[in-house]
Amino acid sequence: MSDQLPSDDALLSSLAARDLGALASLYDRYGRLAYSLAYRILGESEAAEDVVQDAFMSAWRGAASYRRERGNPRAWLLSIVHHRAVDILRRKTTFRPAPLEAAESLPGDEDTALSAEKNVENRTVREVLETLPQAQRRTIELAYFGGYTHVELSALMGVPLGTVKGRMRIGLQKMRRALEGTR
Amino acid sequence: MNDHVLDDLDAYALGALDDADAGRVASHLAVCGSCRADAASLAEVVGALPDSVPLREPRPALRERVLAAARNGAGAPKPARRGWSLGRVRVWPMLVAGLASIVIVLGAADVAAYRQLTTLSAERDNYSLVVQSFRQGGRVWYMAGSNDFAGSGGTLVDPRAEGKQPFVLFHDLPQIAAGKVLTVWLVSPDSTWARAATFMPDGRDVQAVPITTEVAGFDRCAVTLDDSPWGKHGTVVMESRIAPPTTTP
Repeated sequence: MSDQLPSDDALLSSLAARDLGALASLYDRYGRLAYSLAYRILGESEAAEDVVQDAFMSAWRGAASYRRERGNPRAWLLSIVHHRAVDILRRKTTFRPAPLEAAESLPGDEDTALSAEKNVENRTVREVLETLPQAQRRTIELAYFGGYTHVELSALMGVPLGTVKGRMRIGLQKMRRALEGTR
Repeated sequence: MNDHVLDDLDAYALGALDDADAGRVASHLAVCGSCRADAASLAEVVGALPDSVPLREPRPALRERVLAAARNGAGAPKPARRGWSLGRVRVWPMLVAGLASIVIVLGAADVAAYRQLTTLSAERDNYSLVVQSFRQGGRVWYMAGSNDFAGSGGTLVDPRAEGKQPFVLFHDLPQIAAGKVLTVWLVSPDSTWARAATFMPDGRDVQAVPITTEVAGFDRCAVTLDDSPWGKHGTVVMESRIAPPTTTP
């Protein structure tokens, strides 16, 4: 049954041909994940919905110019969601960097952590993240979900820029090895 | 000459560079296969991060909103809440620039018409109608200047009419230091930056700069102040917000 479903690439081709059914299928496939990512970054349901709509409209308009070397369709779509959400986060946050404690209490870290146990379908990545030393994990999460630049992180965490870069590099290397081991 | 950007690739993959640095890295990746391969590998790892997020259900209405927006050729969900902030930008030059854009696109940009335009009063309703009617024929992105460029701005116009070249109409550009140049960039949804034009302010209130790159596939634009027309990316002095939707015919 599942092999009857169109591939992501096929859906994007249909999107380029202005097939609304393909857009609906793409939304059904990734809308929930896209919204979850946007919500994790912005912490507001209304703003997260706006980002998701923007991202799907961007895919709708840009499907014809999509190139595979930019990543697979899923990664491409989620990267748009991420860029949009971080863009909004940076624009609306007039005073940065925020205190580390505030940054750490972004949605998903506290109240939603328990529900995460119930509804995260793919726990592998979270488990991989949790195996990282705290400083590396915090650096990666604050950069990706918190929208902090590496320069801001250096000030926020009180460590040299080179240390921030090193934590990112080593953390991502470990993640890569761990994820390769699960495939 | 070919300074690799390995030191910044992890931050680039995580989206943790500011616009200027991200543009510099993107420019390098466009010409360096080795760094591009490393960046692709890192992007794959970073691309897994969304899978660590607790899943939440959006409201069911969002699905219909997305489909309705595509059906109607619209994309901006709540324009009132997301309206452009004019900040320190003066409205009058924007009005003149907007109206002058229309004249240029229509191929009637003669001096008399331009002078006539500059004498028009800034009637908000009229302006709104003009912009609305123009937008049905092409795309318009406004860039607001920041820091030393506060108060200036540029309107990128991508006419739908065949044979009409896209251009940016700038207003109130400040003079820049000798040896410096301004670069117009087009930015794709995944934040790839492409150089679209290089120019210097000519001292006039309004200045048109032709764009030599196809605008399709991009949804933002920006201007940087650079040391040269090539090489490293300088400071971002002007940028658009996420592009408003294209109106389909």
